[in-house]
Amino acid sequence: MAVNFRASARKVWQTAASIKTGVVLLILVVIFSAAGTIVLQRPNTEPDEMQNAYSPQALRILDGTGLTDVFHAWWFLTLMILVSCSIIAASVERFPNAWRYFSRPYKYPDESFRRVLYPQTSLAIADEETGLVAAERALHSLGFKPERVVREDHFGIFAERHRISEMGVYIVHASLLLIFFGAVVDGIWGWRGTLNLNEGETSSAVELRDGTTRTLPFAIRCDQAGQENYKDGSPKKWWSKLVVVKDQREVEKKEIVVNDPLVYRGVRFYQSSYGPNGKVEKFSITATPSSGSGEKREISLGVHDTVPLDADTTVRFAEFIPDYAVRDGQVYRRSNELGNPAAHLVVSSKASGKSFDVWFPPLDEIADNSKAPYQLQPADLQMGHFTGLQVSHEPGQWAVWTGVVLLGIGLAFVFYVVHMRFWAVPVRDAKTGKYTLWIGGSANRNRDAFGQRFDDLVALLEETLRTIPKTSPSEQVATVAGH
Amino acid sequence: MSRVKAEQQQPTTGMTLIVLVGLAIAFLLFMAFLNVVKSGNLLSETNLLFAALIFYAGAGALYLGFGVTGTESYVKFASLATWLGLIANTAAVAHRWYEAGHPPFASVYEMLLSFVWTLAALTLVAEKKFGVKVIGTVTMPVAIVGVVLMQLLRTDVHPLVPALQSTWLHVHVTLAMLAYAACALSFALAMMFLIQDNMKTETFLAVTSASTLTIYASIVLTRFENWGGLSLVAWNPEQKSEVLLSKGVRLFVTIPDLGWLMTLTLLVVASPLVLYGLARWKNNDSFLTLANRAVFISILLQVMTLVMFLVRARDGRYPSLDADGLFATSLAASPFILSGLVGGVFISLLYLLLLWRRPDLERLLPNADNLDRITYKTIGLAFPLLTLMIAAGAYWANQTWGSYWSWDPKETWAAITWLVYAGYLHMRVTRGWRGRRAAYFAILGFAVVMFTFFGVTYLKPGLHAYA
Repeated sequence: MAVNFRASARKVWQTAASIKTGVVLLILVVIFSAAGTIVLQRPNTEPDEMQNAYSPQALRILDGTGLTDVFHAWWFLTLMILVSCSIIAASVERFPNAWRYFSRPYKYPDESFRRVLYPQTSLAIADEETGLVAAERALHSLGFKPERVVREDHFGIFAERHRISEMGVYIVHASLLLIFFGAVVDGIWGWRGTLNLNEGETSSAVELRDGTTRTLPFAIRCDQAGQENYKDGSPKKWWSKLVVVKDQREVEKKEIVVNDPLVYRGVRFYQSSYGPNGKVEKFSITATPSSGSGEKREISLGVHDTVPLDADTTVRFAEFIPDYAVRDGQVYRRSNELGNPAAHLVVSSKASGKSFDVWFPPLDEIADNSKAPYQLQPADLQMGHFTGLQVSHEPGQWAVWTGVVLLGIGLAFVFYVVHMRFWAVPVRDAKTGKYTLWIGGSANRNRDAFGQRFDDLVALLEETLRTIPKTSPSEQVATVAGH
Repeated sequence: MSRVKAEQQQPTTGMTLIVLVGLAIAFLLFMAFLNVVKSGNLLSETNLLFAALIFYAGAGALYLGFGVTGTESYVKFASLATWLGLIANTAAVAHRWYEAGHPPFASVYEMLLSFVWTLAALTLVAEKKFGVKVIGTVTMPVAIVGVVLMQLLRTDVHPLVPALQSTWLHVHVTLAMLAYAACALSFALAMMFLIQDNMKTETFLAVTSASTLTIYASIVLTRFENWGGLSLVAWNPEQKSEVLLSKGVRLFVTIPDLGWLMTLTLLVVASPLVLYGLARWKNNDSFLTLANRAVFISILLQVMTLVMFLVRARDGRYPSLDADGLFATSLAASPFILSGLVGGVFISLLYLLLLWRRPDLERLLPNADNLDRITYKTIGLAFPLLTLMIAAGAYWANQTWGSYWSWDPKETWAAITWLVYAGYLHMRVTRGWRGRRAAYFAILGFAVVMFTFFGVTYLKPGLHAYA
């Protein structure tokens, strides 16, 4: 029974670690992600639009299966977890071997290895020492650090470069896991929302995407916000001057623009929009006495402000309606969007106790524009603005960016860094008693370019062998010359 | 006997082609010259692009001629034409950059400009460095389609909206163009491999027919109207935008008769597949000969459909089912149908190229093993570039919207592209997929790239709406 269990566990493990599983999972991810771009997704579609696009039955099925929100569906998450498991299993399965290969480099090639290795060649040498020295020198001049391998009964030369390349693929997979990890951390502890601030307003309530509100442990004040335009009127730049207020103290200040957020305690504030908030900041008017005698005056006032026009008369800015409609002699506020604005001013006289409703535009039936003791003319209307901020907290993003950097490094190792190894072993022919130097090389990728390199090494070695005998005993010269 | 005859004929057919291409270039240059004299501005961007188009087209024709006849002198001329086209293209990019004040990456038009440039440059690199002489046979048509699409898309310089004013955008888009061009190159190399690998053309016959069938079926199924019309999105020429009835609902106009033509083409395009099926079923090769003829007829019909589509949909006013009156349309309103039609012709021509494979062509290409290895190398270049492109995009999104991944369609499709190539690498490295299967994978990868580049932008506006 136990054996059975172990056997089946082993089988499950091997299935998880197999490339086939990995590729099948990748194909599933591809299919479902593609579905997520073809079926309209709830998070970025208005409910009406969903209803228009699909019949109620279809919508019920799509909603039930999670196809209208693929990327947040439980089965998509499960799929991603399975992908991670597959990566982990595949790496764990293969890593020990690779690690052995990496940590204990194969320095002395045995006979069977020497027989099959390609490329390889043999050169005639006078004796073992000459061959080893020549190999050392040649490898040195090619920029390698050759190492003399001494075993009990044999010795040789080993040189290698970029062994780290063997680890590249593990770096890539580990960095992918790191990115997934960061994304999961953000999915659990991160949040995103919006915060709209009028100029001068302070707030710490962020409206999250699901409609709830999150209160920050500090507040944000917008001192000023603005927009710069191109000549054709399209927006060029939005900016806001933000202040972080904590315990009544200003702790940080920054002018943010799009692409340059304010970061405080891991919470990021991004400039995302800018526009009129439908509120009047300053309304400038000119007032001329209806009697004709007296000066023309310019005054400006905010909503609910009262300004004296002379000793007896005052003007009050009663109301501003960003979008008005008139029905049955009444003025209604149709919406809060700035579309069809109307301003209501009241001119009153203390002495007579009368007051006159002045409307801009001069609405028939309701407005007393001409009857008022002062004729008012609108000069300028300054609207207040709000700045739209995206607020987000992503505690996992450091894992993500680290993962991305590692991924880049890993891929560079995988594709562009070649692990090259060279061996040189002096071999004595049992019959003739003559020595030859066996040279072999191996590279883990880009083998054709490596072949060229190997040929270069051999040419250099031959050259070196020719120069060495000058300092050696004469009998060795004879041996080399014999070939 | 026939072989000898073919070789004797070569110089004459070769000369004919050179002369024809030369004449065509001269004619086009003459027309362009007239145009320039009329507009009075020699170095305008349109003229530069037109020059690039002429040279690329000439190069494409010569490469194709080389592919078909195997006359080596063509390659020199083709290479020269590519160089000239690249120079004109570079000037157009520089002009655009100067005029806009930012690198040309802000709209589909500008990205196409950069893409075509990269593709032409990489073609020359592949030719000089890897010795893949006929690579232009595949890449030049892609470049031509790119330039033609550019002429149809909007060309005004738009100022950058705030979200696009970032160095990371330039990094992101530059990487994207490099990656996509490398993908295009790997696709071309995979095609060369298939030519060299003596594969059975029948398999490709079925694939070709099935893909063109898919294109026409999707057009006919979604756009065919009752009285044989074809409905297209209405276009407002002043605003250079689609006409919206209400939020998210586009107005369609119906071009009469074009629907019938599309249906006819659909049937003809389907016939090779049917004949192929018959050949397999009855085990009778004579059906295959018929099928090859059907492909030839389908190309003629496809070209005719394309021309009719270009003529009717370019401008003109047509009635609509949803609103009274006549409305304008433009090719720019239907880029997806247009790409589909051009793609269909392109795929079928590639099949013809396979049919016309000749022993001398095989001699001139690097051997299959080498082509396979170079394809892998190109993907080894494209894959890290794709990775970095996605990473730079994520970083930019994080700087702009406060989120590095939003699952917007373009992002998702970029990830899908990445996964497809990741699949290729895994199958190759661990399962030893070489040769034909690897080549199919490379072709599939490029198809996904093309969809990500063109398809997604038009199908689903998302965060990348301006791109």
